[in-house]
Amino acid sequence: MRCEEVQEVLPSYARDRNASLRVRRHISSCAVCGAELARYDELLAGLRSMRDETVLAPPGLVAALTAIPSNGTRLQVARTHVTRHRKAYIGGLALAAAGAAGAALWRSRTAAAA
Amino acid sequence: MRRHNGDGEETSREQVDQELLERCKSGDQEAWAQLVEATHRDVYTLCLRILGNSDDAAEATQDAYLKVYRGLSGFRGDAMFSTWLYRVATNAAISKQRGRSRRRAHEAAIEEDALAQVPSTVSVEDAAGARIEVGALERELAELPAMYREAVLLRDVYGLSIEEIAGQLKISETAAKVRVHRGRKRLRQKMWPVEPGAEGRDQT
Repeated sequence: MRCEEVQEVLPSYARDRNASLRVRRHISSCAVCGAELARYDELLAGLRSMRDETVLAPPGLVAALTAIPSNGTRLQVARTHVTRHRKAYIGGLALAAAGAAGAALWRSRTAAAA
Repeated sequence: MRRHNGDGEETSREQVDQELLERCKSGDQEAWAQLVEATHRDVYTLCLRILGNSDDAAEATQDAYLKVYRGLSGFRGDAMFSTWLYRVATNAAISKQRGRSRRRAHEAAIEEDALAQVPSTVSVEDAAGARIEVGALERELAELPAMYREAVLLRDVYGLSIEEIAGQLKISETAAKVRVHRGRKRLRQKMWPVEPGAEGRDQT
């Protein structure tokens, strides 16, 4: 079986692990296709982790959402506030992200050292 | 990793329990504010990823919560609240995406400010110790054509079934499978570009 044929099914196989015996045998014996499957596994793990990565909502949005029971309609406040305060809001978030990244790197380095 | 807000308070969809929902249904505005506080970042982030534009994402988030508020009395708790919330939010964002003009959709496809919110160096470590930069993945995902971005987001980030994706996007299940498959393939090519002359070489 050719690598090209096997690699064509890998994007789906990586998630459901469902393929013919020929495909599975090829993957287990071919270093190139095995490495390719590892990349897809890594990609899917990265995508899964994105669900827990949330960003700060723009100023005014929480107030607009909280006011829904009284207003019962969408407010325009979010749009103007987002535009006006975007830079400060991004700046604050960049600091938070840098802190999180530093912590993650520290953890991974500690794990590597251990 | 879940990011914390400035007060150190963690936002979590798990904070929404049956009691809070019952209080919301009975018109308790404080309970509604708690529900919003616990869930709005998840919803806003989902909308931002689908729409790629913070103004549109804020509007879609409001549309989603309006639908949640109006539909709350009919929500009986036989499905998880977070699942229902994601479904409503996805629907609001996809509807907005469909409603945008082609020109505006193109302009909004990649918004620098929205992308600047993505952490650039946080990485996911797999069992073999290989790492993927989540920030780079987020940027590459944002650059995929909308049809593939939506499919991969819904399937691989938010865990919707192929059947649910087909329903949300109003396409066949076969088409949904194809979009997910092709979207993953494109992302793989973007994340690990093949070097000239490197094809067929074992890169492990």
